[in-house]
Amino acid sequence: MLPFVLEGGSVSQMPVAEGKSVQQTVELLTRKLEMLGAEKQGTFCVDCETYHTAASTLGSQGQAGKLMYVMHNSEYPLSCFALFENGPWLIADTNFDVLMVKLKGFFQSAKASKIETRGTRYQYCDFLVKVGTVTMGPSARGISVEVEYGPCVVASDCWSLLLEFLQSFLGSHTPGAPSVFGNRHDAVYGPADTMIQYMELFNKIRKQQQVPVAGIR
Amino acid sequence: MEAPPVTMMPVTGGTINMMEYLLQGSVLDHSLESLIHRLRGLCDNMEPETFLDHEMVFLLKGQQASPFVLRARRSMDRGGAPWHLRYLGQPEMGDKNRHALVRNCVDIATSENLTDFLMEMGFRMDHEFVAKGHLFRKGIMKIMVYKIFRILVPGNTDSTEALSLSYLVELSVVAPAGQDMVSDDMRNFAEQLKPLVHLEKIDPKRLM
Repeated sequence: MLPFVLEGGSVSQMPVAEGKSVQQTVELLTRKLEMLGAEKQGTFCVDCETYHTAASTLGSQGQAGKLMYVMHNSEYPLSCFALFENGPWLIADTNFDVLMVKLKGFFQSAKASKIETRGTRYQYCDFLVKVGTVTMGPSARGISVEVEYGPCVVASDCWSLLLEFLQSFLGSHTPGAPSVFGNRHDAVYGPADTMIQYMELFNKIRKQQQVPVAGIR
Repeated sequence: MEAPPVTMMPVTGGTINMMEYLLQGSVLDHSLESLIHRLRGLCDNMEPETFLDHEMVFLLKGQQASPFVLRARRSMDRGGAPWHLRYLGQPEMGDKNRHALVRNCVDIATSENLTDFLMEMGFRMDHEFVAKGHLFRKGIMKIMVYKIFRILVPGNTDSTEALSLSYLVELSVVAPAGQDMVSDDMRNFAEQLKPLVHLEKIDPKRLM
């Protein structure tokens, strides 16, 4: 089973509703899903830590410091995903985290930039929907919506179906096609594609200012 | 910098420190068959297992004195198997009575684009080789009898040449830190392989 996944849901695409908090907007969404007939199926969590090349390594390598993201997804509990933005990615087992501890003289973790999204999983026929609250430390920074269409592994084959489903509960906030597909519409979709989308989403949210409680876009 | 020496504490920072216990020796090519025969008798009963692996050793140089070493290994005869990334720490100095070489080890299974990813992290390949041989198990002990081949053209694993007229024999166990009785069991097993092969604790630093 390889899912087709789409992220809508940075603050600009899944805006916090007027006069409401992140928490309330999440509740609005989940209530819509439940009215559609979706069933709750446990929770999910996707987290991301940022590492940058330590100053001591930079000089000798002669390259600008790069950011490496190490992510985990509760959907794949035994795996660890390591990514460079616009660069190669690696799927490894969870011992990769142990290796990063050994590498701490060369790669420093920016503790303050740890970001994660947590929420509920909903199953609606062949669709798996995950609505999560994105947090950095103690503050809620946005909402992530992930939709998976189980039976299909090639993006271009089911994009319109996914779009239709998204419109049924996101309405006008339905996002466009993720950049991950680019010109790879016919390629087989994999878990790394999901993680790349989450990484882009987290980066977007990190750059935005904190959402005030009043919830203006 | 190399990670600080792993103490005998079994757990650091929430993860169990795994240690590799190692004994090594070698046999000349013409003695291979007798050794294999004895190993088949002593080891766990299973289909004879051979392997053909390509290993690349990567270094990350920083301002620290010694570079960080990682070993990336892939199977050349089993398609679809994950790549194996391995970190090996400095050998633990200490008990002269300890029978095996002990060093911290971290083993990670990865997807195929490991070399590209390591290069992006700043690692550079130092050397590579092909290992071809036999694998045996006895309980948690792993015995490998293999020949090392030098790769003549970088990246081309088809043209190789044997490094020597002998096979390297390695007896190893990966176990949580603090289990020194493991090296006693290894010593006892190694006794049974004498005089075909003498397995000993070889400190790599002494060879340099």
